[in-house]
Amino acid sequence: MPNLLVPQTMFTLVCVLVGAIGTSAFALFYFRRVRMERPAIGTFNGRDIIVLFCFIVTLPILYLFLPHWALTSFLVLTFLASLSIGYRPVLPGGQLWLLIGLAIGGNIWIARTMLGTVAGWQAYWALTSVIVLLGASAVANLYVQGGMYLRHVAIFAFALAFYDAMFSLVIPITPLLADAFIGYPLDPSIGMRIGIYNANIGIGDLLVYGLFMIAAFKAYGRKAARIAMGLIVVFGSAMPALAPLLISSVTRGDANIAVPAQACFGPVALAAYLWMRRHWGPERSMREFLASDDVVRSAVPVVAATPSAPAQGRQRGRQPEPVRG
Amino acid sequence: MFETGIRQFRMAMSMVWGRPVDPANIGRLIQDALATLAEFGTPGVDVQALTDGPFADANARAEFQNRALRRTARRLAELSPYYQGHFAANEVQPAKLDLESVSRVPVTVKADLIGRPQDFRCAGVEPVLTTRTTGTTGRPAEVWLSRYETELWPSLAGLSGLLRDEIRPSDCLQVNISSRATAAVQQDVTLCRLVGAGCRVLGVVPPEEALDSLLDGVPTLLSTYPSYLAQLVVAARERGLEPKDFRLRRIDVGGEVLSSALATAARATFGVPLVNDSFGMTEVLPVSGRSCDQGHLHHDVNMGLAEVVDIVTGEPAQPGALGTVVITPYYPYRECMPVFRYDTRDMVRVLPDQPLDCDLAGVPATTAILGKADHLLHAGGTEVTTRDLVEAYEALPTRPWPARFAVAVRDGRLALTVPAAALDGYGEAAAVGHFADRGLDVALSVVPDELAIGLRPLRCDLRETTFAVPAPAGA
Repeated sequence: MPNLLVPQTMFTLVCVLVGAIGTSAFALFYFRRVRMERPAIGTFNGRDIIVLFCFIVTLPILYLFLPHWALTSFLVLTFLASLSIGYRPVLPGGQLWLLIGLAIGGNIWIARTMLGTVAGWQAYWALTSVIVLLGASAVANLYVQGGMYLRHVAIFAFALAFYDAMFSLVIPITPLLADAFIGYPLDPSIGMRIGIYNANIGIGDLLVYGLFMIAAFKAYGRKAARIAMGLIVVFGSAMPALAPLLISSVTRGDANIAVPAQACFGPVALAAYLWMRRHWGPERSMREFLASDDVVRSAVPVVAATPSAPAQGRQRGRQPEPVRG
Repeated sequence: MFETGIRQFRMAMSMVWGRPVDPANIGRLIQDALATLAEFGTPGVDVQALTDGPFADANARAEFQNRALRRTARRLAELSPYYQGHFAANEVQPAKLDLESVSRVPVTVKADLIGRPQDFRCAGVEPVLTTRTTGTTGRPAEVWLSRYETELWPSLAGLSGLLRDEIRPSDCLQVNISSRATAAVQQDVTLCRLVGAGCRVLGVVPPEEALDSLLDGVPTLLSTYPSYLAQLVVAARERGLEPKDFRLRRIDVGGEVLSSALATAARATFGVPLVNDSFGMTEVLPVSGRSCDQGHLHHDVNMGLAEVVDIVTGEPAQPGALGTVVITPYYPYRECMPVFRYDTRDMVRVLPDQPLDCDLAGVPATTAILGKADHLLHAGGTEVTTRDLVEAYEALPTRPWPARFAVAVRDGRLALTVPAAALDGYGEAAAVGHFADRGLDVALSVVPDELAIGLRPLRCDLRETTFAVPAPAGA
């Protein structure tokens, strides 16, 4: 058993670390430089966490019952939306849609024609990983730039810990879901294959890490981001990846591993938030963050309109001013 | 954020389909807007579409207006005794009305409203608040409002005011309009409560008292009439007050002509960046108009139809022509005592038929209000509006604010009667030259200052007495 489990675990560790660190770092890079459009009114609040959690609980179950063509269509729509919303401020519309089309189209083509070889799998995972990294980073930014606080992320991650443990260990939906994506386009994971070893980390975990990283940075700056990255590496990546060496219950056969990563990360994320709040006080608002030195200004050319103060004229004339007789 | 999206969707659907707008939903959107401003400092993108409506596209706007007109007329034909008769007598078919044919519906005038007030009340709507016009331009009209209207209008005003940064939770609004203007006062008080701002309703008290109130460092917004603002400016200058003595960041006026000279003086005296000259009228509430950076009057397209009708032909006025503003508030914004094609008698000129480049270019506009149509004079072959006279008069170096004068046309010339103080130290000949420079050929008559108040009634004359002892000068 160690003959397969140890190298698979080590390979998984590398893949998970690359995925988690890469997504968190890129999300932060984006967060410091790019301002996304947001609606005229609306900011993330606690009730949004409940809505989000309900989606996350119900969608995977739906995935299991969808035919593959429908599942692929759903994934295409999801990535089209996340990539187009996320990178509209960075690229002109024509270029953006061309690149998104090439990436998603290329992914579907590779999945349908090249998965008979290891090189094909590697090409598939390379392209999928880029799409997923960009998508998860965009969605994390959408939420945090939309007003999501570190306390929201911490509570969300803590709730996911129970969900993840339940649906990995008690009712094994997560492993079934992971299996449902294998070999089909747009597997929502960052992964790689070398020889017989295949490892990946799902977009749900990546999204939580991206959220935690940038929400911590927004709330308390660099010192919090360093702590967040450390927790992501240790509790979000290393512990879940190495768990199979210690806990046989999360392994299926010699090398087919599905670890409930949030069960490790969620409680630590909540504890870290509580510690930060106790030591550093209330979190910064987006307004305070944007006014701070933590924002890299104009480092990336922004092509779309960024949220700004309404034009002077729009501030004029209080609406009905019924003073005439 | 998800809830806010649903609330905005509900509001948009009410606006598009003409169903009653839930004031409580708007109240919750105000709370959402407050949370947004606290988090981000500014609203997000497309805020103008939310406050002014998604009607930058002329075709979409026309479609919306046609549907709103039909909906409003259908309801009036069903529930309003006055309009049942009016539409039947003029063979108006509500289902076939549109922007072209609506001009064939005879206008409603103030005399109709005064003569048959009961007939304007819609069946099945419980009136809860009455408001009266101030009567400075004739007999006052009484307008009844329903609970729905008293809740909806401040909610909508509060939401748009917050998003346009016209009012903030940290503000305190001082209201120096007549306390009898109950709809306006109720709206100011309620919208301040909704956004968490302070509200200080003083009424038309002696200007010294209003000035004392402004000096205590609390009010940041002022709502009043131009003539009362003029009295405040004069009083502040007499006391040697400067912008640093006030915390005001905004002044809103309406109901009378605001001259450029007075607006400039008010800005300089109170240290506000602009004096906003808005348009609102009790009879056509909640439809209103806003002024832009180029002095146009932009008419609300969400809540009503604003037409400009040629004062001679009664047909839609052509670009450059004088016309009166005729307003139809749409259902569901007006419920209890609605009017259809109400002739405000407020005159404007239609702007040239070319795209606007002002800061409110997406909203239809006319010139600013030029005065009442009934006060239009013809002298020397030209039309002379109240604005022409007030602008020239208030620009006199003697600063005779507010403008007190009487005018008539005699032998083709303007016979202008002014109080002595208006020419004090300037001279009659110089004053005649001053008016001539502005295209006004006047023959001046001078009366003692004691008679000034009788020359021209102004809203600042709707004085409310108090027992307050004026603060000592210089205090």
